[in-house]
Amino acid sequence: MKTLQEIEKLTAGDLQRIGADESISVPADLQVRLPRQQTTLRGWSIAAAAAILIGLGWWGLDRALQPKDTFDDPYLAYAAVEQALSRVSGGVHNAAAKVSESEAMIDKVNYWK
Amino acid sequence: MKKLYIILMLLTLSVTALAQSGRDLYNKYSDKPGVEAVYISPAMFRLIGRIPDIEFKDSEVDFSPLIKTMTGFYILTTLDPAIGASLYDDVNRYVQSGHYELLMEAKENGEVMRMYTVGDPKTVTSFVMLAHEGDEVSFISFDGNMDREMMEKLLAEAAAEQ
Repeated sequence: MKTLQEIEKLTAGDLQRIGADESISVPADLQVRLPRQQTTLRGWSIAAAAAILIGLGWWGLDRALQPKDTFDDPYLAYAAVEQALSRVSGGVHNAAAKVSESEAMIDKVNYWK
Repeated sequence: MKKLYIILMLLTLSVTALAQSGRDLYNKYSDKPGVEAVYISPAMFRLIGRIPDIEFKDSEVDFSPLIKTMTGFYILTTLDPAIGASLYDDVNRYVQSGHYELLMEAKENGEVMRMYTVGDPKTVTSFVMLAHEGDEVSFISFDGNMDREMMEKLLAEAAAEQ
């Protein structure tokens, strides 16, 4: 076993000779394992790129589908919302009136029973 | 690799699910002839929020605290029978596919008015009103972060006033 200092003193030629030493056993499946790791890495890279593209596409689509404001003036916009809310409350009023009518009817029926 | 495909599929599905909104309905109908359409963007609502002391002119009820918590607003109204029928069906599909909860329904002589909300017991994040009165079909929708109690109180006050 060589120490760190001994390894640092080795020349490139020495390292090449050590590398060529056939006494060091190479795992039989080494060539199989390396490509698989590369494939996984490539797969993740493709997935990441696809996710980025989908994200950018979604962002672009979202911006393109954004409708244009009907009003430029916030006072006019406010007035339109106010009018719509008045309409909504009109609906609530009509529904409440029907409930009152029904209650009056139920009271009458109960009275004659 | 299978995991990657599943992740990509989920991502695509989530994108498709997000695409279902009031905006899609607005985009589909707003340019059609005979359709009255109003859209108010979140940016416009931010501007409205900066206007001090707006008064509700048509009523004694002050809706401004509610309006200032809104972030988006859509109105579609049509008298065209074919477009109206299609809009009515689309809105019904939209509220059924979302997490909308029926708040109120009133029916009389074939006329229908329904209100739906999304949110929790304290907050309303989306409101939809669909009305079919005679030939007229109206869709009103607003999004925001609105206090449920305040919204219901204001609407009830305005209704009592009519």
